[in-house]
Amino acid sequence: MKDVMTNTPFGPEDMARRKKRAIAMALILVALAVLFFITTIVRLGGSVAMRSM
Amino acid sequence: MSDINAQLTETPAAVTGGQGTVKDFFALLKPRVMSLVIFTAFVGIIAAPGTMHPWLAFVALLAIAVGAGAAGALNMWYDADIDALMKRTAKRPVPAGAITPSEALGFGMVLAVGSVLVLGLLVNVLASALLAFTIFFYIVVYTMWLKRLTPQNIVIGGAAGAFPPMVGWASVTGSIDLGSIALVLIIFTWTPPHFWALALWKKINADYTNAGVPMLPVVAGADETRRQILLYTLLLVPVTLFPALTGTVGWLYLIANIALGAMFIWHAWRVYRIREGQEAEIACKKLFGFSTAWLFIVFALILVERAIGLPSFAPVFG
Repeated sequence: MKDVMTNTPFGPEDMARRKKRAIAMALILVALAVLFFITTIVRLGGSVAMRSM
Repeated sequence: MSDINAQLTETPAAVTGGQGTVKDFFALLKPRVMSLVIFTAFVGIIAAPGTMHPWLAFVALLAIAVGAGAAGALNMWYDADIDALMKRTAKRPVPAGAITPSEALGFGMVLAVGSVLVLGLLVNVLASALLAFTIFFYIVVYTMWLKRLTPQNIVIGGAAGAFPPMVGWASVTGSIDLGSIALVLIIFTWTPPHFWALALWKKINADYTNAGVPMLPVVAGADETRRQILLYTLLLVPVTLFPALTGTVGWLYLIANIALGAMFIWHAWRVYRIREGQEAEIACKKLFGFSTAWLFIVFALILVERAIGLPSFAPVFG
């Protein structure tokens, strides 16, 4: 893995920037999942409990 | 493979991309403009008749904010050439070389599509369609078409900045009502005097001239711009009172806006009368600063009325 890194045209600063961008992207994706989940619960509201069995 | 790596090593970083920091990408969203969009959309949500679950209101605001950010990123992608020629915008991420144009385009498109989809799936389709139209209007009608073509660019293009309260309103009601149209008209009529006051500053005017952007002071001259500022301000004051006729606001808004309108006219009158020297420059700066605060106060008054439970007038229209 280290050899691959040294062969790329990206220096340590580039890699650090990439890492920060990747973390930001991951956080956004997690936030989106949470957003959809909570919204689903909110929109369902009490309808789930009230449904006929 | 090693040849490819060698080629990449020789290629300037700014061309290959991947140099932008998270901060650079955030700057692409035009956070200042975004904050105004969030605020006016929030007022649209609060002013709309009916109720909305607070979480869904938050989701709507988030989608509207991201949509506004997407429009900002796409604007910076398309305008990178003229941004590089203007001192005020030369340090933006694309002309500064931190982010490549294709990165800005991809970023803006993903956010635009994502925000429209989220608003449509989680809130309602009309609000989503209005957000899509707003982004389209800002990018295609204003940025690509009018901005470089006509001195009326911000008059028509200003509509894009005026839509957010209508998107917020539609998130609650699922409809387009006269009440939301009245809020749109306020921002629409406010935009020309606000931006022309900025465009009259010597530094800004020189920027636009240098970049060949046909802003009104560049094409028609400072005197005509001053006249237009005064005319639009005289139109703006009665337009500000429309929400009283649609039953959106009450007496506090009405009385405060009559006073605020008089102050706006006074500032515009000073810009119209004082045409030479440092004092003229100061008058333009004061009008720009006042108009920024004015829009905030006008919309904040609606929030205050709702917060203290002040009743609105009976609607004459709507």
